[in-house]
Amino acid sequence: MNAVVRSVMGWSRSGIRPLFILGIILLALWPTLMTSAYQMRIFTIVGIYALLSLGYQFIFGHAGALSLTQGTFFGVGAYVTGILSVRYGLGGEFTVLLSIALPLALAALIAAPVLRLESHYFALATLGVGQVMLLVAISWQDLTGGANGLSGIPGLTLFGLEFGKGYGIMAVVWVCVAMGAFVSWRITRGLYGAALVISRENRIAALSIGIDTAQLRYAMFLLSAMFAGLAGALYAHTIRVVSPEALEFAIMVACLTITVVGGRTHIAGAILGAILIVNLPEWFRAMEKYYLIAYGIALLAMIVAAPYGLIGLLEQWRAKLLPEKPPAMPPAEPFIFVRAARSAAGPLLEIRDVHKHFGGLKALNGISLMVAPGQIFGLIGPNGSGKTTMLNVITGIYRADSGSVYLDGTDIHNKRSFVIAQSGIARTFQNINLVEEMSVLDNVAVARYGFDNAGLVQTFAAGRIDPAWKRARSNAMYVLEGLGVATVAQSAAGSLAYGLKRKVEIARALALEPRLLLLDEPAAGLNEGEQLDLADRLRAFARGGLAILVIEHNMPFLMPLAERMACLDYGDLIAEGTPAEIRANPLVIEAYLGTPEEKRA
Amino acid sequence: MLLQILANALALGAAYALLALGFVLILNATGAVNFAHGDMVMAGGYVAIAMGSVLQLPGALLLPLVVAVMALLGFVFSWFAYFPLKNRPPVSVFISTIALGIIFQNSANAIYGAAPRKGPPLLSEGNFGMGGITIGAQALGIVVVAIVLIVAQHLLLNRSGIGRKLRATAQDREMAEAVGIRVNRMIALTFALGSALAGAAGLMLSNTFFITPTDGTNYVIKAYIAVTIGGWGSLSGAVCGALIIALFEVLFPSLPLLIPPLKIIAPWLFTQTASTILLYVGLLAIMFFRPQGLFGETVQRRV
Repeated sequence: MNAVVRSVMGWSRSGIRPLFILGIILLALWPTLMTSAYQMRIFTIVGIYALLSLGYQFIFGHAGALSLTQGTFFGVGAYVTGILSVRYGLGGEFTVLLSIALPLALAALIAAPVLRLESHYFALATLGVGQVMLLVAISWQDLTGGANGLSGIPGLTLFGLEFGKGYGIMAVVWVCVAMGAFVSWRITRGLYGAALVISRENRIAALSIGIDTAQLRYAMFLLSAMFAGLAGALYAHTIRVVSPEALEFAIMVACLTITVVGGRTHIAGAILGAILIVNLPEWFRAMEKYYLIAYGIALLAMIVAAPYGLIGLLEQWRAKLLPEKPPAMPPAEPFIFVRAARSAAGPLLEIRDVHKHFGGLKALNGISLMVAPGQIFGLIGPNGSGKTTMLNVITGIYRADSGSVYLDGTDIHNKRSFVIAQSGIARTFQNINLVEEMSVLDNVAVARYGFDNAGLVQTFAAGRIDPAWKRARSNAMYVLEGLGVATVAQSAAGSLAYGLKRKVEIARALALEPRLLLLDEPAAGLNEGEQLDLADRLRAFARGGLAILVIEHNMPFLMPLAERMACLDYGDLIAEGTPAEIRANPLVIEAYLGTPEEKRA
Repeated sequence: MLLQILANALALGAAYALLALGFVLILNATGAVNFAHGDMVMAGGYVAIAMGSVLQLPGALLLPLVVAVMALLGFVFSWFAYFPLKNRPPVSVFISTIALGIIFQNSANAIYGAAPRKGPPLLSEGNFGMGGITIGAQALGIVVVAIVLIVAQHLLLNRSGIGRKLRATAQDREMAEAVGIRVNRMIALTFALGSALAGAAGLMLSNTFFITPTDGTNYVIKAYIAVTIGGWGSLSGAVCGALIIALFEVLFPSLPLLIPPLKIIAPWLFTQTASTILLYVGLLAIMFFRPQGLFGETVQRRV
């Protein structure tokens, strides 16, 4: 009993939660002070916009894609409710559900061509969809009432109960906001939430640890459409008319402003933003037509001064004034991250006659290579010789023009990047790809995404603490210990020295339980002692069965480490053999190593 | 008839080309979409109306003044929308330009109201008769002015010292900085140039199509589409894209005039609304199948 009380007290005091609790109490008390129907209506509309913005946070905040179609989903939801209740007399049980379902279907339909586009195209494409829907609403007069829209929408009835003007609809709206907030919190935390963060902040890194970033984006887009549809339905029942205004760009701009002003990923931000932006015209009523200018100024000021919104700003101030104790490090939970070599004979990785060119530049010109299980293979060559391109072809970031890549006898060439990672190839990057703001521990833990069956539904269904995330962090702790960097587990990855970052990247790759590890210049930034330490650890992993392909310029590091080596030059494989053979190869010396005298000079 | 339609399409396309060029210049210099670019067209229209009512001059003489005012506005614009955010992801600039667009729109609304206004004609509102077709003086003027401005822009960029610096800045900002180019100044200048071109388009479009404070969104979408069709970042592609859009917008709804049976088969298809919808559908198809634009070569981004 005491423990429960203490944990609740602890929770309510940490962070800026006291402010939240105070805010919720004030929010709950506010309606009791309302004297006019008008005030209630404004407060209801605040809730509707909060819901719209909570949904927008999924795609804009959590997935990081600037969608300009949230207002369109809202308008479609409003029209569905308007048309069904005015023309067909359907009750809220049906209209609300269909108002969610139709935007959902629309989102699913447009996601296929639109979601994979780069950010500026994505924004334009979503804008285009909105313009089309607006034109349809205006010209399909028989159904939508054209430019005048439909009036006489009845109040919301659910299973015979009527939620009319005033407190009725207000209560429904705010219950929906509370449920929406709950859904948002549940989905965006834990292991799934961490996967969202890395997919947004560093897509290439997310793919390299087996996260299907496109699927996450898709899920966020659909969620945002559902929230918008619900908000639209409630809007139609609140203002009792639906007209093309519901589809106009102004709604989208309001939603964007609310989300930017409040905070892109903070639930409280959506609510605070909605309170401010909806009430702005009320508070600045004296300014009449100028308040909309204030709108623009607010948006501009926030994007410049507080990119994480007001709630983000509060968090920052809190962190400065009352720094929190870092949470206790999770206990390391052992697991076997170096899988034993597979049984069948033959190479683990086989590259056959791979060609890749960029425009006229031949980056890879018919490369064939084999790496055996448990082997450490060194890949060398001058800058621009195609080493990193080779890694990018193996990991599916580039598609080879011709040739094939086999992992353990399976053709992985042409498979998508995250599938290749899931099948057992992990990598590090020449120019480190960690999420700088995340802690070292979380950067590594998120690589356990594929192992705990982490998904939207599982995260939602889990209790107050996501057990998958807890396990992932414990496992991550174990890998960090295995690389001797557990002491920095709590630090933000961006704050580390260069050499340490490299080790954290290796830890993240190992957390994927790979069969093949690809390292792009792992020794850069390490001093000699650290290099020896890293080499020892890599040897131990290889003895356990892990195959390692190392790109490196540092010959004193690589030569004693590698069992076999290959040298690339202008996309051609000019030599392959043992380190001793490579060192003696005249072609390699000419292209890359130089003569010993030159080296010393 | 066809010639008449083509002449109108050419005039509209010329104005679109000016606005698409400004859009792509700013895009190349900053890597960010200027969503307020359409609002610059709108602002150019209102500046022309304001000056026209004071000075009582034809548009052709107002043009240099409007261009100068708009260049100044573009300069100021960059100080608010771009420079505070230059080290942030391009999406931040996208949003800040949306914010400035709102400010522009509502300032125009507060001053002039929502009713459409008509800008001054370049010379007169008369028509020329040429070989059986009549061409509006305004349409002809737009084409001439646009050609002059596009050529001037081309010469500035490719034949002058400052143009070389502008291009260097757009190509590789860090490298340009390293060789001593004042990069910030060049970017501010690009905003001024883009805004001036948009303002010129605004002056000319406001006479033919009138202007309202909310017209900007429509215009920026046109520029955006033109640049997508022509290949992201390509100047000549933007001009071609603008001409294609204008041709489609003018030609498609008039097809039943050229081919009367169409009026009977599918009268609903050849409306302004349907043609706009088709334009967007075509745009989505291009983005899906040829994201590099209609003319561009496939470029794979290096990791």
